[in-house]
Amino acid sequence: MLLKRRTRIAYFMILPSVAMITLLTLVPLLEGLIVSVQSQDMGRPNPTRFVGWEHYIRALFEDDDFWSSLRRTIIWTIGSVAGAYCLALSLALLVNIDIQGRKFFRALFLLPWVVPEVSTALLWKWLYGDEFGILNFILKSLGIVSSPVLWLADPNLAMPSVIAVQIWKLYPVMFIVLLAALQNVPKELHEAAIIDGANSRQRFWYITLPFIRGTSVITTLLASIWSFQNFDIIYLLTGGGPAGVTKVLATLMYQKAFWGSEMGYAAAIGVLMLVVLLLLSIAYLFAYKVQKD
Amino acid sequence: MIFKNTTISRRTTIIAGLAGLFSLGSSGVNAQGQTALTFWTVRLNTPELAEALRGILAEFQKAYPSIKITHEPVSGGLVYPKFLAAVRGQTMPDVAEAYSYHPLQFAAMDQMEPMDDIIAHWKSNGTLDNIFNEYAYKKFFWKGRYWGVPYNLDIRPIYYRKDLLDAKGIKPPKNWAEFQSAAIATHNPSAGNFGAVFPAGDFHISQHFFMSFMLQAGGGILDKDGNLIFGTKAKEANIRALTFLTDLATKHKVTPPGIAAYNTDDAHTIFVQGRATFGFGTGGVISRIMKENPSLFDKVGILDVLEGPGGPTSRLSAGFYNPMFIWKHSPAKEAAKTFIKWFIQSGRLEPLYRTTPGQHWPIFKADVASPRVKGNRLLEEALTKVVPFTTDFAYPGFGRPEMGIIDGEKLFAAPVNEVVVGTKTPEKAVMDAHAKMARLFTT
Repeated sequence: MLLKRRTRIAYFMILPSVAMITLLTLVPLLEGLIVSVQSQDMGRPNPTRFVGWEHYIRALFEDDDFWSSLRRTIIWTIGSVAGAYCLALSLALLVNIDIQGRKFFRALFLLPWVVPEVSTALLWKWLYGDEFGILNFILKSLGIVSSPVLWLADPNLAMPSVIAVQIWKLYPVMFIVLLAALQNVPKELHEAAIIDGANSRQRFWYITLPFIRGTSVITTLLASIWSFQNFDIIYLLTGGGPAGVTKVLATLMYQKAFWGSEMGYAAAIGVLMLVVLLLLSIAYLFAYKVQKD
Repeated sequence: MIFKNTTISRRTTIIAGLAGLFSLGSSGVNAQGQTALTFWTVRLNTPELAEALRGILAEFQKAYPSIKITHEPVSGGLVYPKFLAAVRGQTMPDVAEAYSYHPLQFAAMDQMEPMDDIIAHWKSNGTLDNIFNEYAYKKFFWKGRYWGVPYNLDIRPIYYRKDLLDAKGIKPPKNWAEFQSAAIATHNPSAGNFGAVFPAGDFHISQHFFMSFMLQAGGGILDKDGNLIFGTKAKEANIRALTFLTDLATKHKVTPPGIAAYNTDDAHTIFVQGRATFGFGTGGVISRIMKENPSLFDKVGILDVLEGPGGPTSRLSAGFYNPMFIWKHSPAKEAAKTFIKWFIQSGRLEPLYRTTPGQHWPIFKADVASPRVKGNRLLEEALTKVVPFTTDFAYPGFGRPEMGIIDGEKLFAAPVNEVVVGTKTPEKAVMDAHAKMARLFTT
């Protein structure tokens, strides 16, 4: 009886959390699924008309934009996460050793994290500007280039340029997590390895990396999910241009939903993004497990 | 006396009270006996405009104390989800102002109250004759009814530097050939001056300048019956327009090199800083010059709408007459119409126009004579040289709901952007855009 009462109290205590999760996660998800099989088009009558798989068929078999945007989303995600991981790990390794001003650098490296995404995009737009951009000013002043580099207007440079911005935005969170993981690597192992004659590269490869592998997997997975869904930076910097080379699924979805008024189709793209993310996450975790085993 | 022996229980009292409240609510009448009107605005929400609007609404309240207006701003980025949710929940505002094609899109969803009676009223009292261009209201005519009425206008003029043209002995261009020669002649990057600047990025407003050139070339999107002709009958003219515009960047190279990433503000900035002979912009450039570089004001003029290959009858500039509309199921439709008739009158919206000169434009010819316009040369030039020639991009067809999606999905921004960066020829860009539009018209 007591157990039953305690169980009831326990359920009662977690009820607010369950209700919040249901309201904020499950209801919108369900709503998205429902909308994805409806017409929801402001140019057509009966916006809640059921259309079944129509939007999914359009995205997967008729709309070239979907596949090209998916390809670019994957490039954007891999580029951003790989770049941010390398930068974050390098900085974490640097700050993990005893250097002067360590605390200052820790705080400094976290700065991009606190800058809102809209401000980040505007800041970098000014940096990249052809006429007034600081980067072009420096490059010209140093005599490295004679005419401005078209960071955002050149189809070959636009994607790397927006990826650089995402790396800048993404690395601080990875940096702080990796730094915490690095600080848990037992110093004795490094000392023993030094006595055994291991060089720094070998110590990193055989001691540090295995210890931070679990953390790395989780942070890169989370960063991949964030980047895959990111919208603000690309939309504000390039609008998906030039010539569509930075159009990713998130910007395609926004365009269809909020300008093209095709809510149903946009919701279907959103659901497909979720499926792709789930598949990628499962594959990623499976690969990690196999490697670990 | 009849009720003397009647017993009214507590329950009956509560039910009666709730019924009374419900009947007040459902009839659009509030507890004070006023007709309640909800008014959503999309384009009047900056702090300055909202303040000016508050004053105008207060005047209305004084004139019509029996109508209570509740103003609710709607963020521009949330227009579609907000209205769609309102349609689904049947909680649309009684009256709203929003983007160009919204009334037709809502009409397609069977949510709009026809405005034929307001148009008839305007016809009888001479208001229609006072409107600059008949397409201002005909764009809201679809399936035999008017679904919205225009209340203000967005324009897309070309600004020019008088001093730079004078220095070269060049008169302000009147046609395409003169414009091109003047841009080339005054292009002097070593002195920090570009011949012309226009936004060619994949952004919303960037596409509107191509629309003007398209109309001037004799091209367009729709024929007078509303059929899509962008890549068929109008193909050659539209390709010519796209070629002319993009040649400024690709062939003559008289623009800043990075315009393929420019949004409207970027082009405005270059011009307002005094670094281009010709600047393609919105009316908002006037405000920016006045605020950010007042010394430039006297050196700047607004070009006459150019004459292109389409000849004098095609001297047109794309613009956007913005609508007000009424929800079909509003319990206060008559009050909403009263409000619209009061709100859309010559001179009524002066406080809005005064706050940010050039950002919004009146639709009435009589407004040219207002002291505000007479005291600002650029406003007067725009109102006399550009506004009378401003038409909708559906011209010569009347409105269609699909036009909202064509504009919204930036189907004209992509061709300009793609040609400027060299990934497509003008012909390929036009035909690809046509294919996308055709899909909208056939599904």
